[in-house]
Amino acid sequence: MSELTYQAVDQDGAIEEALDRLPEGDSRAAFLRKSVVMGGALAGGGALFGALTGTAQAQSRSDVAILNFALTLEYLEAAFYKEAVAMGALRGETRRFARVVAAHEATHVRTLKSVLGGLAVSKPRFNFRGTTSDQGRFQATAQTLEDTGVSAYLGQAPNIDSDALLAAAGTILTVEARHAAWIRHIRGESPAPLAFDKPLTKRQILRAVKGTRFIVAARRQPARRVPSLTG
Amino acid sequence: MSEHVTVDVVQAGVLPEGGGDTRSQFLRKAVVGGGTLVVGGVAIGGLPKLASAAPSARQDQAILNFALLLEYLEAEFYTVAETVGAAIQGELREFATVVGAHERTHRDFLISTLGSAARAKPAFDFRDTVTDPTKFRQTAQALEEVGVSAYLGQATRLRRPTLGIAATIASVEARHASWIRDINGKLPAPAAFDKPRTKSQVESAVQKTGFIVA
Repeated sequence: MSELTYQAVDQDGAIEEALDRLPEGDSRAAFLRKSVVMGGALAGGGALFGALTGTAQAQSRSDVAILNFALTLEYLEAAFYKEAVAMGALRGETRRFARVVAAHEATHVRTLKSVLGGLAVSKPRFNFRGTTSDQGRFQATAQTLEDTGVSAYLGQAPNIDSDALLAAAGTILTVEARHAAWIRHIRGESPAPLAFDKPLTKRQILRAVKGTRFIVAARRQPARRVPSLTG
Repeated sequence: MSEHVTVDVVQAGVLPEGGGDTRSQFLRKAVVGGGTLVVGGVAIGGLPKLASAAPSARQDQAILNFALLLEYLEAEFYTVAETVGAAIQGELREFATVVGAHERTHRDFLISTLGSAARAKPAFDFRDTVTDPTKFRQTAQALEEVGVSAYLGQATRLRRPTLGIAATIASVEARHASWIRDINGKLPAPAAFDKPRTKSQVESAVQKTGFIVA
């Protein structure tokens, strides 16, 4: 598995912002008893998420933070593949991988935003530093992002309060794992290196993402906290 | 499906920052409609149904035993194929070797977790699916896809810590599915969301294989 470097960036990333809202330790129990209303209309394709949208849904604050954490990772992946496809430097199976996965990640972004409604974090600004315009660097980066995505979902799955959200998040987790195996296969790496995948904590994920230096600025959250109930 | 669930919500617009006792006064009742969850055209139940099977130690045990049946099946399939499938060569053989080792690890992990509650291994007859490379690759793909969907279907029925562990197996099954699909010339990740199967859907799929003979 590709190693990420752990260079810090100056700005607070959107992920850190999302992570900071994740309750820790004992305080989490308090959050579990409280929830916020999220809503949003889902334009097709949301699978299990479809049931979470279209009507106002109650989600815990903790779940909102987890969803925003996932959304930020999906923003990152979606932007990475979109740019790579647009740059036109990829060839063969790698190009096919980028196109298919770009569509999946864009769908994940759209879906998570729909579920979060007005509580969704904004898309950060990215700089992929040449990794989208070089076949080899693209492949290595894609593998890291997908493996990291798997570990991030695994790390958060047991923390999700809502059954409906958990069921839906699971259907994304396994698709990220498929992506990871696919790009590993393309690179000649073992698609499934271990019998158990490895969950990573939000802190570990944050450090890994910061290390990429792909997030160059977080757009601050709008001050309003009233969700839009468009369902 | 038109059932409603009443839950406590915080009036989001006036939710105070940073927690604290005052938050409780913002608790409100809200009614959440339980819609039908549709995945790829298959309705698999509504939110109330998902919430109704309350996780418990006993239920965890039943689900892990259900998973164990699938892992027994997969482990034996690859182990036998490696032994008798002389015609299974190249990357297919590598797949059988690597994935077989994973499935045996999953099986052993579940057996040790379940202890004396672990079900016994059934008798299997894989017929020519472990000797004919084409049948092997098709069967492997089917088994891995069933495995992914089976774990996804049970996710919310497990207590969260158990789920956390089961998920680390589910994503590996998804890697296997992706790998064998790639070998088979199929799109490794055919959709943006994977599809859960209920226990009865999985059981029916397994029964149709005719692999379990006793």
